[in-house]
Amino acid sequence: ESTRMASGSERTGVASQFFAGTEDAAIDMTTSEKVVDLLNQAAFMSTDDKLIALKQVQELIINKDPSLLDNFLDEMIAFQTDKSIEVRKFVIGFIEEACKRDSELLLKLIANLNMLLKDESVNVVKKAILTLTHLYKVALQWLVRSKSVSDMQEACWDMVTQMKGDVLALLDSDNDGVRTHAIKFTEALIITLSARTPSSEIPKKQEGDISLDKIPKDHSYIRYDVLAEEGKSALEQLLKFMVHPAISSINLTTALGSLATLARQRPMFMSEVVQAYETLHANLPPTLAKSQVSSVRKNLKLHLVAVLRHPSSLDYHSQISTLLLDLGMAQGDIARCVPTSAPTRKRPRHEPYNEGKRIKMEPTLIEDDEDKEEPAPVVAPKPSSSMGTQSAIDITAEFLLPLLSPENVANLVLISMVYLPDIMPASFQATYTPVESAGTEAQIKHLARLMATQMTAAGLGPGQKYPPAASKDPIIIRKVSAVSLGQAISVVGAYKSQVAEETPHAKKLPEPIMPSAQPKVLGSSGRKKVFRLADVVQPLSDSHLEKLTNMAVKRILQSEKAIARSGMSHVRVKLLARLMTQFEGTMKDDMLRFILEDIRGRSDLAFSLLYQEYNQHLDQLPSGSLDSYEHCLFTLLSGLQERPEQRDGLFTKLVLEAPLITQSALEVIRRYCEDESRVYLGMTTLKELILKRPSRQFQYLHVLLDLSSHEKEKVRSTALTFIKRMYEKDHLRDYIEKFALNYMQLLVHPNPPSLLFGVGEDTEVASPWTEETVRQCLYLYLSLLPLNHRLVHELAAVYTEAIADIKRSVLRVIEQPIRGMGMNSPDLLLLVENCPKGAETLVTRCLHILTDKVPPSPDLVERVRDLYHKRVPDVRFLIPVINGLEKKEVIQALPKLIKLNPIVVKEVFNRLLGTQHSEGSSSMSPLTPGELLIALHNIDSTKCDMKSIIKATNLCFGEKNVYTSEVLAVVMQQLMEQNPLPMLLMRTVIQSLTMYPRLGGFVMNVLSRLILKQVWKYPKVWEGFVKCCQRTKPQSYSVLLQLPPSQLVPPSQLLSQHLR
Amino acid sequence: MPSHPLRVAVVCSSNQNRSMEAHNILSKRGFDVRSFGTGTHVKLPGPAPDKPNVYDFKTTYEQMYSDLVRKDKELYTQNGILHMLERNKRIKTRPERFQSCKDQFDLVITCEERVYDQVLEELNSREQETYQPVHVINVDIQDNHEEATLGAFLICELCQCIQHTDDMENEIDELLQEFEEKSSRPFLHTVCFY
Repeated sequence: ESTRMASGSERTGVASQFFAGTEDAAIDMTTSEKVVDLLNQAAFMSTDDKLIALKQVQELIINKDPSLLDNFLDEMIAFQTDKSIEVRKFVIGFIEEACKRDSELLLKLIANLNMLLKDESVNVVKKAILTLTHLYKVALQWLVRSKSVSDMQEACWDMVTQMKGDVLALLDSDNDGVRTHAIKFTEALIITLSARTPSSEIPKKQEGDISLDKIPKDHSYIRYDVLAEEGKSALEQLLKFMVHPAISSINLTTALGSLATLARQRPMFMSEVVQAYETLHANLPPTLAKSQVSSVRKNLKLHLVAVLRHPSSLDYHSQISTLLLDLGMAQGDIARCVPTSAPTRKRPRHEPYNEGKRIKMEPTLIEDDEDKEEPAPVVAPKPSSSMGTQSAIDITAEFLLPLLSPENVANLVLISMVYLPDIMPASFQATYTPVESAGTEAQIKHLARLMATQMTAAGLGPGQKYPPAASKDPIIIRKVSAVSLGQAISVVGAYKSQVAEETPHAKKLPEPIMPSAQPKVLGSSGRKKVFRLADVVQPLSDSHLEKLTNMAVKRILQSEKAIARSGMSHVRVKLLARLMTQFEGTMKDDMLRFILEDIRGRSDLAFSLLYQEYNQHLDQLPSGSLDSYEHCLFTLLSGLQERPEQRDGLFTKLVLEAPLITQSALEVIRRYCEDESRVYLGMTTLKELILKRPSRQFQYLHVLLDLSSHEKEKVRSTALTFIKRMYEKDHLRDYIEKFALNYMQLLVHPNPPSLLFGVGEDTEVASPWTEETVRQCLYLYLSLLPLNHRLVHELAAVYTEAIADIKRSVLRVIEQPIRGMGMNSPDLLLLVENCPKGAETLVTRCLHILTDKVPPSPDLVERVRDLYHKRVPDVRFLIPVINGLEKKEVIQALPKLIKLNPIVVKEVFNRLLGTQHSEGSSSMSPLTPGELLIALHNIDSTKCDMKSIIKATNLCFGEKNVYTSEVLAVVMQQLMEQNPLPMLLMRTVIQSLTMYPRLGGFVMNVLSRLILKQVWKYPKVWEGFVKCCQRTKPQSYSVLLQLPPSQLVPPSQLLSQHLR
Repeated sequence: MPSHPLRVAVVCSSNQNRSMEAHNILSKRGFDVRSFGTGTHVKLPGPAPDKPNVYDFKTTYEQMYSDLVRKDKELYTQNGILHMLERNKRIKTRPERFQSCKDQFDLVITCEERVYDQVLEELNSREQETYQPVHVINVDIQDNHEEATLGAFLICELCQCIQHTDDMENEIDELLQEFEEKSSRPFLHTVCFY
């Protein structure tokens, strides 16, 4: 500030300050002389003084006496090659001030600015960018005002345009500060190359600045449409820049601010800006540190509030509010930022361009709204990509909205869990705020938008398929129809030819004022004879070279102990690894052998070598092969695998730390797992691989699954144990299940597929299924079954299709798993209920297994009863649940039951009599033993043959423990009282008497009672009565005497026969 | 190393303790430094927490000093306020309000998050003119004498490191990360434009 002076009275001040001692002369000096003097002095001053002097000159020739400006221009510009960065920066400032004072100077100075824009110092480049930011507007203004544009002016503008392109390209600069400046330049450029609208916020100091709306459409050189296009493309570049995943925190901050400025000064970009904020908020760059995330979020909040305050943001309030809420701003504070004058829901009326919603996304439409003379493009202007993104996100968001059901969202969350990083990223930690309004419509909408943003960024979603909305825009259609098509075409044609005409005449670009070069101090240039290595050495022969190399490497290899003593082992290891990967052939194998000789002691070398090989592979991507790495890993793993057992876990360590597991390495791991003595360690390693290398987990899992049907019992059972544990993990579950089911599915083939036999064993030709091969298909399935009962239905499906041999095997192997499921399993109950056709035996078997040791549950009984009554009336179903049935039902079923195969009948009786279960659960039986026996007597002889009934009663008598004399007495008593008398009554009486002779008295009693019931009227019973009397004589005599004489004949005959 | 010395502003709430402590140390180390407060008033502790001494930014340190001597010399000697004002007088005449200063800086360092927010709000509400960037960094310092001294040293070290970079804008990010780790406190950092 001190250098800025007013004219007039300061004159002496200036002089006296710098020319102490020459005061007299100074007083009378003209301004011109003073400038000359200052410039002469400046050339020899130290940087600080030089700057002060030059500032004086600038003041004099720009502000005090601009007529001198042209005169001293060259002298001032000469300082642009000054050693000092500050002086060069000053020259840039001078160029800016000079051109602002007199735009014509652009002709001379623009090329100098261009040179400085490419200066070696970033600080100079940055200053040049700042100056170009201002001079771009100055140049544009100047050209627009010129009545006729000279060739020189055209060339000047061309250079400005080229420099503009250069600065935009600096968005990709390596230097953070340069990028920051390029962003600000882009911001200003977009403002200039877009139209001001009535709702634009205009900074007071920029009121006079030029912008697109002030550019005439009939200018002889400046093309309105080209500039509009350049402005759009700059916006695209800025938006693209912002989504770069590794954007620096400061660049991001800068861009956020630029967007806010754009939104406020050019509200037609509101949509893009809000969109960009949304995208950013959902995708904070992962490279940001925690505090940077806080800083960025603070900025985002600040700028969002600024945007919110602008009246044109009305349509985006819900999006902005949601973002602000997420950023931790209170609802009340947000509401306070909404301008109170915000009008009704309608768009502000004074905004003439906001007629349809789409127009907001199409800023370029504003350009020729009123000028109907202008050629309207026949084809809609190429829509900006940002606009395409906008509509794509809308479409995808709408598409997603109905899909976000709680179930889908839950699934998404579960699936995403797998991809979560191990460590919570700083950006997430900072941005996470509990979702307050989860499940509300607004929140679901927000979620849909967030997802749509991500999907669109990844090129996914239905929005991608739609052409950008512009081509359908009714406003554009209207415009086209407003112009005669023919005319429009001719104009477009004319435009094209004009362009074609222009391009070949590459104008001579302005040339910089060549600064009078300051003599450069060159290094001493005297030529001396230089030592050159090539002159004094001769190349070695290839074989000699190789020999020497081998020897050198061997020496390093052998010097293990010596180097270890010196504590430099790590250097040797690194050196060997580096060297070795350079060579092919035997040397590598030698080294691997060397490592394997003492793998424990040389493991660090092994790892180094492996990593080095992998590095080498990465370096050669994408063409490089993995062979060398694979060979190394394979050799090491095989070496370890073939070695006798070690307990140091080196194998595991190598597998888990190898950067990549190749196919051949996986085979070694498999072999390791197949070794019974190491199976546990091997599979633990495999498990770690599966869990910690998700990208190929299924490949590893497949190996483990394969081992689950291994011929060695120990391998198989260990694999099954591991798989069962993994089956609990949701992301592996499906794969395991599919594998198990596929394997089981093999059972439907008529012969076992070759898959079941080891590789190479070609037994496919008609070898029959064996118990062993059937089991092989079921091991995995059956161990999963108790964990997931649903699978039982798959078994039923396979079972119905399988051949009889397989069915038998299946019935044998399912006992354990079915018992494990238990009779309360809803899926088992469902299976019973549905009992697919062909699976009856399976269901029966299941029922038996379930009720083998425990009484049936009411639920199970109910299902079986249903099945029996409604679908498959096979009485065998009832057997397992017989104790759960009603007394009446059992009695009803008895005739059918006792006709079954004797073994089965025996089982039925065992169940009914409780003679089967170890824990006496006979109390559960619906029938007491006595009732059972009575029921047997009462079976209708038309429903069942007598022989079966007799066999059945015999079974009862066989159970002496159950049918005690007391029980039998009660049975006889009850039978005797029936009317008519049961046919088998006397048979039972005799049988009882045979079993328990002490029942003689009771039997006599029975016989006497029978006489009262006129027993002779029942032929079969009468026959038995006589037999009984015969057996019990002489005791029975007293009974016989009670018979009426008419009935005494047959017995007496019998008796006499016997007597004879 | 940048060819011109950094123009640094240190800002706290009342331009009394934290910013002045840093101002003191930075100017002794040869920095082009100024200090400011962002509050609407200058507040100094009073006889009770709810009775602070409130001055406007026009009041000189000298006037505050005499005012407090008059009110309760013993109290304000004991709590170090007079000592602080004594020091402040030697540095400049009166506190300055950041919002009233239109000069440009390369680096603004704030002493608490609220002040940082106010500085950002002020800088963003100004109309952009030159697009010259200014980096704003917040270093949280508690408002007492001991913390102010420690904080001032940290600020000073930070400024020295920044001053010694070849290309401040390109290296400041990394530098701040290192400082965060070393001092184990987070720094807010942003860039604004004049």
